[in-house]
Amino acid sequence: MKEKIEEVTALIQEQCLWQFFSRSWDREENIEGIMTMTGKILNGDKINLVTPVDKAFYSDAKFLAADIQKKMPWISELDKSGILELVEGVKNRLLYITVKKSRNCELNLSNY
Amino acid sequence: MSCELVLKERTGIINPIYTCQPAGAQFAGIGIKDCIPLVHGGQGCSMFVRLLFAQHFKENFDIASSSLHESAAVFGGSIRVEEAVETLIVRYPHLRIIPIITTCSTETIGDDIEGIIRKVNKKIEEKHPDRDVKLIAVHTPSYSGSQVTGYDNAISAIVKALAKKDEPSEKLNIFTGWVNPGDVSEIKHVLSEMQVDGNILMDTETFDAPIMPDKSAFAYGNTTIEEIVDSANAIGSIALSRYEGANAAKYLTDKFGVPSIVTPTPIGINNTDIFLENISKLTGKPIPESLIIERGKAIDAIVDLAHMFFANKKVAIFGNPDLVFGLAQFCLECELEPVLLLLGDDNTLYKIDPRLKALEEKANCDIKTIWNADLWELESRVKDKSIDIDLILGHSKGRYIAIDNDIPMVRVGFPTFDRAGLWKYPVIGYKGAEWLAETIANTIFASMESKHDREWIINVW
Amino acid sequence: MPLKLFCCDECIPERQNHVYVKEEGEDTTQFLPLSNIETIPGSLSERGCSYCGAKLVIGGVIKDCIQMIHGPVGCAYDTWHTKRYPSDNDNFQLKYIWSSDTKEKHIIFGAEKQLKKAIKEAFKEFPEIKRMFVYTTCTTALIGDNPKAVCREIEEELGDVDIFVVECPGFAGVSQSKGHHELNIGWMRDKVGTLEPEITSKYTINVIGDYNIQGDTYVLQKYLDKMGIQVIAHFTGNVTYDQLRCMHRAKLNVVNCARSAGYIANELKRVYDIPRMDVDTWGFEYVKVALRKIGAFFGLEDKAEEVISEEVAKYEGKLAWYKERLKGKQICIWTGGPRLWHWTKALEDDLGMEVVAMSSKFGHQEDFEKVIARGRVGTIYIDDGNELEFFEVLESIHTDLILTGPRVGDLVKKLHIPYINGHAYHNGPYMGFEGAVNMARDMYNAIYSPMWSLAGKDPRVVDSPMWSLAGKDPSVVQEL
Repeated sequence: MKEKIEEVTALIQEQCLWQFFSRSWDREENIEGIMTMTGKILNGDKINLVTPVDKAFYSDAKFLAADIQKKMPWISELDKSGILELVEGVKNRLLYITVKKSRNCELNLSNY
Repeated sequence: MSCELVLKERTGIINPIYTCQPAGAQFAGIGIKDCIPLVHGGQGCSMFVRLLFAQHFKENFDIASSSLHESAAVFGGSIRVEEAVETLIVRYPHLRIIPIITTCSTETIGDDIEGIIRKVNKKIEEKHPDRDVKLIAVHTPSYSGSQVTGYDNAISAIVKALAKKDEPSEKLNIFTGWVNPGDVSEIKHVLSEMQVDGNILMDTETFDAPIMPDKSAFAYGNTTIEEIVDSANAIGSIALSRYEGANAAKYLTDKFGVPSIVTPTPIGINNTDIFLENISKLTGKPIPESLIIERGKAIDAIVDLAHMFFANKKVAIFGNPDLVFGLAQFCLECELEPVLLLLGDDNTLYKIDPRLKALEEKANCDIKTIWNADLWELESRVKDKSIDIDLILGHSKGRYIAIDNDIPMVRVGFPTFDRAGLWKYPVIGYKGAEWLAETIANTIFASMESKHDREWIINVW
Repeated sequence: MPLKLFCCDECIPERQNHVYVKEEGEDTTQFLPLSNIETIPGSLSERGCSYCGAKLVIGGVIKDCIQMIHGPVGCAYDTWHTKRYPSDNDNFQLKYIWSSDTKEKHIIFGAEKQLKKAIKEAFKEFPEIKRMFVYTTCTTALIGDNPKAVCREIEEELGDVDIFVVECPGFAGVSQSKGHHELNIGWMRDKVGTLEPEITSKYTINVIGDYNIQGDTYVLQKYLDKMGIQVIAHFTGNVTYDQLRCMHRAKLNVVNCARSAGYIANELKRVYDIPRMDVDTWGFEYVKVALRKIGAFFGLEDKAEEVISEEVAKYEGKLAWYKERLKGKQICIWTGGPRLWHWTKALEDDLGMEVVAMSSKFGHQEDFEKVIARGRVGTIYIDDGNELEFFEVLESIHTDLILTGPRVGDLVKKLHIPYINGHAYHNGPYMGFEGAVNMARDMYNAIYSPMWSLAGKDPRVVDSPMWSLAGKDPSVVQEL
């Protein structure tokens, strides 16, 4: 699983701009929202989009899920709990790289 | 015919003809060899000017900035200059001279440039005893004068700081004013034909840098510190521009007794004649046959064109003042009617410029000169039809007046970024007169063709 | 040691913190260049000023405004005829610039009266224009003018005009970036929400951070029109002042240039709950992703696929032709900041090119996180690179092309290296599918110019047949 988490993290690092929003709170929100949504899509869960933010998460998640499915054939072999474990693992890795251990000095400025 | 000088009535500027003083000072600075001008101000004050030079020359010129930031705006920027000079000296081993050019911000803050220079000079002596780097204060607050006075201030400051009496030389100082490398080549050609050894301030001919097989060539200014030092020992000085360099020539007269002449900018046949006569006057060298032949060729070219194509055509001219006056005089020589002249700053000396009188005496039309003008002075007149213009002579910043109103325009002066390579050609001297006349003619021909306006005349020309 | 000190920087060792060479297995938690901090004086930095960021980059693009520069004439002169952003109203914004022409006497007595007169004159001379941007500059900020008060007076007096004031003196901040910020935040604070748009579609967006360089905006607008999406405002390509006042009514903010305009997207999210979606509008493959994401947001997936298949059919053959000829070519990107991360992977994926060195003038660390995440191992990443560093880079790597500004292009041509205008393009647009092909075509034309091999040849040392005739039988005629 660790390798799988690293593989997905590497893909996101290279492809996705949402992990690099301007402030910590934006990054945390995106990582949580988009990765959770990606998990739902990969698991075939019913998705109920209520707020505009949900829709935005969905748009990014849909693309990411499709990319993972295309590039990582092993994904179809994971069961629901495996997907959730993967998603949580990736969330933690992304938070580690882009928030917790980020060397970006502007992440915690209070204003934009 | 009348020659009237009026001040622009509006307060603000719509489409400026000139930029501000530091740009002129930077232009003067890049003409010196082993020199990197240091602009003391915000980064835009040098970045934009470097871009402007690149637009015009398609070449890169090194200009440094003290990168004034907020802290300096509050506490003064002298430390920024100290750091900049140190960085430049260490990183550029060939660097020998740094004009320190002030801007509106650092003049408003009131940084004591002379004081800083004294301090930094001591530091250089201690830290870099093997280096001799001249630091020269050039005061060019952007809120005074214009690029024209900025150029003049810089030339004056540099000459004042460096010129030193020594053994007299046979050289003739030429203060070119803000001209193109093509003009410098023409000046050198004239001096060479007259067997006069020239001391050109500033020699920009090397701005036309080649791409060499060994990748060794870059654009640079070619007037050395030694040449500027030696300007005090010259046989005389000729300033080709009343507003760009004449003050430096006058300084050499007052301080070192170097005789000087401010010659009417040698644009056109008559002004070039006067230029040659003045060279003769100061050096005793005769005007050779070869230049009379060149003169004759230029006259021949103009005669082919003037009565048939130029006569009665109304011309608007804008640009640096010496260029504008020179072009107006040239227009009168070849039967063009310079009805509107635009000078882009508020220099009160224009009122007593002798060329206004000279224009009035020879005028073939009423001439209106607007000073402190902008390009809207021209555009609004064209648009409301209060003036009917057949030809525009000016730099590229006026291009849309020509484009949108279908008026033929010959690009001349600085900058001419919307035409290729114009800066390699002279407008001064006999060759310049010939180039101007033929370029004007070809521009008019192209316009006749694109408008289908009696273009068949050219069938049998 | 992945942070690198160039030899030319030995006297300014702090530069080491601004230069990074990526090694295998590293990520940005280990190394991230310092950026958006004070410039080293005299380093021949490529940076501009805050005023440049506000006026030249963003405000000056707006097509129906008087652009009044409050200060001495130079600042106005400098930001006129220096950009390539057209508009569909005959390029009004490219043709004019206005200055309050601040003079020495105003430094002592204040320039507010001067500004007021200049503004009223400008409206009088252009009676059809009712909107204005006023920018402060170094001098007028230092003397403490209050241009906002002046503008409120004029708005009341004239009744039908609207004026926006940006406080962007050149000494503020460390680069253009500060001006971007000031304009974004100021516009949000003063103008967004002051006008209601006419809504013509269920699907509304703002396109943020696209400045219609050589027609980029037209390309994006074409795709969005086909998808039935209404663009409330492009920030700020081919846009009107009043369209920008209506930005609060969009359902989604699509952000391309997150550096110059991320701020307003963030604020629109904070204040109006409009989600921010970052995309790349450069790059053949990236544009597909962008359109698919926008489509997914509105449930317009089918429309997005229609646009994509139509455009791909038109352009993929052309792109493939260029890819065949550009793959393996090594290039540098020395531009403002965001184009580093927009382009590095796109050029690699679309065309098989390798980006070997990148320098950003005004990017923040956020931009370096993006570009290092996307960029190659072994590539040099530089913040605020300067001329001597560039020379040193060029000595240490091979490059076939540099994407940079014209002045640096004028420098590197002497080293027989072609450049493509990375700011204003050679022959754009460069956005969208057709843009990716245009960019490939320009790079191909530059790299394959016959002049480069001629430039490197010295006819004196070439062993040509004519050369070898020297001193031989003068009656021999040799045909070449």
